[in-house]
Amino acid sequence: MSVDQQGLLAQLIRELVRLPGIGQKTAQRLAFHILKTEREEALRLAEAIRAVKEGLAFCRLCRNIAEKELCEFCRDPKRDRTKILVVEEPSTLYAIERTGGFHGLYHVLLGSLSPLEGVGPSDIRAQELVDRLKEGEVQEVILATNPTIEGEATAIYLTKLIKPYGVRVSRIAYGIPVGMDIEYADEVTLIKSIEGRRDL
Amino acid sequence: MSQLKTPAITLKSRKWGEADRIVTFYSLRFGKLRGVARGARRMKSRFGSALEPFIHCDLNLFEKRGDSLYRITQADIQETFPSLREDLALMSGAARMVNLVAAVTAEGDPSPRVFETLLGGLRSLQEGSEPGLTTLLFQIRLLGQTGFRPQTDHCTACGKEFGKSRRVGLARFSPQTGGLVCAPCASRHPDRCLPLSAGSLAFIQQALHVPASVLPRLKATGRVRHDLEAAIESYVTVVAGKRLPPVDFLAPPVSL
Ligand SMILES: [Zn+2]
Ligand SMILES: [Zn+2]
Repeated sequence: MSVDQQGLLAQLIRELVRLPGIGQKTAQRLAFHILKTEREEALRLAEAIRAVKEGLAFCRLCRNIAEKELCEFCRDPKRDRTKILVVEEPSTLYAIERTGGFHGLYHVLLGSLSPLEGVGPSDIRAQELVDRLKEGEVQEVILATNPTIEGEATAIYLTKLIKPYGVRVSRIAYGIPVGMDIEYADEVTLIKSIEGRRDL
Repeated sequence: MSQLKTPAITLKSRKWGEADRIVTFYSLRFGKLRGVARGARRMKSRFGSALEPFIHCDLNLFEKRGDSLYRITQADIQETFPSLREDLALMSGAARMVNLVAAVTAEGDPSPRVFETLLGGLRSLQEGSEPGLTTLLFQIRLLGQTGFRPQTDHCTACGKEFGKSRRVGLARFSPQTGGLVCAPCASRHPDRCLPLSAGSLAFIQQALHVPASVLPRLKATGRVRHDLEAAIESYVTVVAGKRLPPVDFLAPPVSL
C-alpha cells in the first residue's frame, strides 16, 4: 500500500519521522498502528503530548523537567543541599534517581560541550551552575557527564570553572560493567578503571 | 556483501536510532567512509570505546551493494591518544584536524598520505607538541595533499609568474583564490587580501615540502605566526565552505 503524499496518514508519518530514532519504515508502522487502535487510546497519546507541552517547563534552579517553578527534587526539603550532581540530560538524572543511591540535588546542563561541533559554554546551562555555587551552600559538585569526548570536554571545562569557588569537584568513576568479563573490556575503559581504583 | 578490513581513524560519530551509531572514519584503504555500528551505545557493546573520535583502530566492515553506508562488524583499538581526551587545548586541536579531513576529502577516495598525515598530527599532539603550531602545520600540510595547496609561485588573480625577482617584502594572500596575489591585483580588492610576511611565506613552503619527520622542528612566533594563522584560518573557511570550530575552542582561560 502506498500512502498518498497529501493524505492525513502521510501527514502523521511526516510528524513521526521527525522524532529522534524514527525512520521512514518505523514511522509508517507507528502510523498504521495508531490508525488501527481504539479512538480513546490514540487520543490519550495526543492528550499526553499536549499535557507535557502545556504543563511542563524546566526547573528554575536545576533545569530538570518541572511541573511548577521548581522540580520535585529541588522542592524536597529532605534532599542534601550541599551536593550537586551534574548531568547532561534529564534522562540521566532519572537513571541515577532510580538507583536510590544519591540524595543531593541535581544540575541538568541540557547538552554537552563539543569541540568537534563547536558547541560552546553559552550553549549549555553552565553559567546557571556557577550562579548556584555563589549562594555558598554547596560543598561538592559531582560531574556525571557521559564518558564521551563531549562529556569529557564538559567535565574538564566545568572543573576549571568551579574550582575557584572552593567546592570539592569530583568525576564519577569509569569502570567495567558489572557482570562483564574484564578481558572483554576495551582499552580506554580498562585504563580509566585502573586510574579510578580505590583503596579497600 | 563482502568483508573488508582497514586501519582507520575516527573523525566523528553520531547517535543513530535507539542504540546505534553512524561513524565517519578516514581509512587507509578506502579514504573517508561512513559506517553503521549496531548496538554501539549499549553498555555491553562489542565496540567499547573504539568508535570515539581520534581513535586509531583496525576496522572490519561489510560493504552492501548500492548502499553508501558500510556495516561495521568489529573495531580493534590500535592507539587511543589519551591526552586528547584530557586537555581542552589538545582536544580542540585534534578536533580541528579531524574536522578539516572530513571537510576536504570525499568518500571512497583513498590517500595513504592523508591517513599518515592525520595519524602523525594526532601523535604529535599526544606527544606534547604545542597544539596551536602543530595544528597550523597540519592544516598547511593537509591542504597541500588534498588539492588545496596554497599557491605561491604565481598571482592567483591574473596568473603572472612571480619568478625569482619577487621582492622580499610583504606579500598578499587571498583566501578566495587560495594563494598570493600581485600588488596591482591586491590593490583592486584590498579588503579580500591578508598580509603575509616573507617569514610566513617561507614557513608555508617548508611546511609543504619538508619530510614529515622534520615538521616538529619548524617554528613560527610573533608576527609570522599571527599572519599565518589569519591567512590559513580564512583559507580553511573558504575551502571547507563553513567556519570550523576554532583551533583554540574551549582552550582559552575560562571567563564566564
Ligand atoms: Zn530542580
Ligand atoms: Zn595579479
